[in-house]
Amino acid sequence: MNEESRWRSLALDLLTLAVLALVLLPIIWVFIASIRPDADIMTRSLIPTRITFDHFANIFSRGDFLVALRNSLLVGGIVAVCTVLIAVPAAYSLSRFTYLGRDFIGFLILATQMLPAVAVLVPIVVIIRSLGMANTLTALTFTHLALGLPIAVWMLKGYIDAVPRELEEASIIDGSSQLGAMFRITLPLIRPAVVAVGTFAFVLSWGEFILALALITSAEVKTLPLALQTLFDPYSFSWGVVMAGGVVIAAPTILLFLLFRNQLVGGLTAGGIKG
Amino acid sequence: MTARATDTEPRPFGDIALPYALVAPAVLVALAIAVVPLLYALWLSFQDWYLLRNPTPVWGGLINYEALFADAGLWRAFWRTWIWTIGTVAVEIALALPLALLLNRDTAIARMASALILLPWVMPFIVLGYGWRFLLDSEVGALHGFLQAFGLAGNSSILNDPNMALAIIIFISGWKGMPFMVLALLAALKSIPGELYEAAAIDGATPWQRFTTITLPAIQNTMLIIGLVLGILAFYSFDLPWIMTRGGPQEATTVLGISMYKAVFTDLRPAYAAAISVVMLAILAVASFLSLKLRRRQ
Repeated sequence: MNEESRWRSLALDLLTLAVLALVLLPIIWVFIASIRPDADIMTRSLIPTRITFDHFANIFSRGDFLVALRNSLLVGGIVAVCTVLIAVPAAYSLSRFTYLGRDFIGFLILATQMLPAVAVLVPIVVIIRSLGMANTLTALTFTHLALGLPIAVWMLKGYIDAVPRELEEASIIDGSSQLGAMFRITLPLIRPAVVAVGTFAFVLSWGEFILALALITSAEVKTLPLALQTLFDPYSFSWGVVMAGGVVIAAPTILLFLLFRNQLVGGLTAGGIKG
Repeated sequence: MTARATDTEPRPFGDIALPYALVAPAVLVALAIAVVPLLYALWLSFQDWYLLRNPTPVWGGLINYEALFADAGLWRAFWRTWIWTIGTVAVEIALALPLALLLNRDTAIARMASALILLPWVMPFIVLGYGWRFLLDSEVGALHGFLQAFGLAGNSSILNDPNMALAIIIFISGWKGMPFMVLALLAALKSIPGELYEAAAIDGATPWQRFTTITLPAIQNTMLIIGLVLGILAFYSFDLPWIMTRGGPQEATTVLGISMYKAVFTDLRPAYAAAISVVMLAILAVASFLSLKLRRRQ
């Protein structure tokens, strides 16, 4: 690399950092506001006078927020486990077998991913209410299952496709059944992808808003996005506390992002997960 | 990649049923969450069901569709949704194209930045919505102060200004969706062979000429297809305009998703809301068909 192009590259790197900071500013701002005292926020000063964790202490001392945290953990956890339990066999079936209707089934699963939640909101709400299941975490869990499942199936199918069949065949010759070979050979090899799709499913459920808004009204079954809305009481609220709540909701997303960046990019290009 | 057939001999029944049994739970979820609700919405849209008047649905024929065509507010929401959709995709492209060109370099900083740029896409709407409300708040908002200094905002937040609210939320919507376009454009840019640029440089082409004759033709299909996918998502927006402004001020940010939500939960007319869903789905079906044809042509 000659002298001139090295300077050019450095300049473009600096420009990249500046543009990145500008694009991510609204997100960075949430984090900064969550650790600044309210007095700082009110004066609109850009330089923080001190760092405080009072806002976090404040929300974690609120009963309603803790209940919502528990609900979100519960729903997200069950959704993650069920997504894996349903998606792994489905992906294995679509990848390893040829059978009548396979392509149609694959298309059907992918098509549900393309369908925006808003499009089926009305019938889902009417059905769940007529089943008497509004305001239950069960209903929310079941609808959230649809959020990440299609992309989980398609991602896992890609990973299973990449595992050589010969490995399974060797195991079958040694006397194990097809399913035995799946458990013993293929699953351990795709374990990172399984963990990734489980985490995706958790995060999608954790931040999901419209289904929770439409299905849940009572305080004891609210999830975190709804609890954040409650924190934002128009007559008395602290921006610091609301932003701290935002950080709590954002945290697993950022963690997921740092841990599974490559799988996430793979998943995005495979079909585009809903934001 | 497709799986090879394991053998050609007739297989015992257990073997034939196994793949179906494995995929069945996923199909059941898809049926329960997508297919059944879609058919139910279609049936519901022909019912006469207004919770304040008749608590159980009765057959109403085209009553909801007639009401829908006569609803001036809904027509305004319909046209506003097109502005919203086209505006969002335009912002997405306008932000993503320069970003992708900037990030299409093989340095450590560029690689890190092309990963971090995904954050707006993966973050929950509720966090981003409140973050932007905070930035735009008339008393404490940093961005509000900035806009005020340039005379672009008065003493009240621009989210309270019917003329500004839609534009600003369209921008935020485009900002959130932009990373997906960046990712797709980066993939398209990386697939352009470097020799093309070298040849163009030898021929003495200016950077602008290289952009219009090599780069743009190579990425325009991606831009079109991803633009359609993002357009479909934008057409169904609800979370962002609801979290930011609840469809207001007045009805400035009421897109069809919000009209539909209000039809169920404020006006208590589920059958009417179902008819709105059906119309939105019909438009989606046309858009999906278009995007499928485009993909085939590629």
